[in-house]
Amino acid sequence: MSEEEKKSFWQNMKEVLYGMASHDMSRYALRTRASMEHLFILITMGDMIGVPILPPYYSLRLLPYVVPQISTWKRRLLREKDLSDAMF
Amino acid sequence: MSLKKIFEEHPKRRYIMFGGKGGLGKTTFSAATAYWLAQQGKKVLVFSVDPQASLSDIFQKDIFGKGPVKIMENLWAQEIDADQHIKAYQQEIRQKILDMYGFDEVPDEIEQYIQAASAEPAMEESAIFDAVVDIVIGSDYDYYIYDLVPLGHALYYLSMAKVYDEWINKITKLREEMREYEEMVSRLKREKETEEDQILTELLYIRTRINASSSILTDKEKTGFFFVIIPEEMILIDTSKAAELFAKFDVPIMGYVVNRVVPRELLQQNIPAYLKNRIEMQDKYLEQIKNTFGRQVAAHVPELERDVTGLDMIRQLAEIMYGN
Repeated sequence: MSEEEKKSFWQNMKEVLYGMASHDMSRYALRTRASMEHLFILITMGDMIGVPILPPYYSLRLLPYVVPQISTWKRRLLREKDLSDAMF
Repeated sequence: MSLKKIFEEHPKRRYIMFGGKGGLGKTTFSAATAYWLAQQGKKVLVFSVDPQASLSDIFQKDIFGKGPVKIMENLWAQEIDADQHIKAYQQEIRQKILDMYGFDEVPDEIEQYIQAASAEPAMEESAIFDAVVDIVIGSDYDYYIYDLVPLGHALYYLSMAKVYDEWINKITKLREEMREYEEMVSRLKREKETEEDQILTELLYIRTRINASSSILTDKEKTGFFFVIIPEEMILIDTSKAAELFAKFDVPIMGYVVNRVVPRELLQQNIPAYLKNRIEMQDKYLEQIKNTFGRQVAAHVPELERDVTGLDMIRQLAEIMYGN
């Protein structure tokens, strides 16, 4: 077995282990992180959908950094939803 | 205690503010104080945060939105043009978006937000607030004289600093939590360092700006606030209320300046009943001022023969306020 193949074997083992042990955890963390991101945009850019929270002068300063997330954020927050969605 | 003595006893107080109800002489006193300090060899900037500022009228020079303009030796004056400030700021944001993402133009949705945000009533106040931070964190001058807007606005201005600060703290906390999650993921995935969170950096920057300004406003060592009053009942009631509120915000009050006092010497002349009645009325309220504010009354300024515009009148007023 060449050196390279050995490496890739260990690499594979590592990935399998990662998949078994921590993939779910990191997926969960990423999801929480994404919800927080949306909460963050709501707080800072809220007046885009009619919820003014942070004074607009300073939200403008943060605007450039959230440009790519704006449309998914809007879609998520403005999606029609009510209690029954959670029940059924 | 006289105004001159107050300044001599507190040489560290470099941020001087005049506040009071509208039309009582705040701008005039700011100008005269700045003039006197400049004559004492101090480098002074007098600036106005009032959208309807009248420093231009007093100095008889158009200084609106022109940055600090030199009036005479040691004396500079500045009137902040909030609109201009907002426009430049919007442009800066647009440019940043274009640069960061390599767009040819700002996406519609984002552009609409930039415009809508700038139409908010709070925008102008915030812009002025931010411009003031720019002015006062510099240390180009020995004295900064604020010509404040009427009392209500001044209080709003002070409370805004507190509200902003609390908000930014909360948001920063949220952002820090988000960062922890990010770090956790990269640890799990065994990635190298997570990249720097630029939003967190911005938030911390915003917080320093807000703190810089509000800490100056409430700094007992470096800041002094004068109330401008006139001997009339309504003004005294309002000012007492305002003084209480200011005390709540820890604004160091340096004294009260009484304006528009009709000279009592006139009583020895043959004057009409109208004027006599006014003097008697003022006497009553001057007595009340003495009882309420006592030693805090720093100066009495007589009703002058003409309005204070131009350096010559400012000099005369400064002589009345500070002596020759």
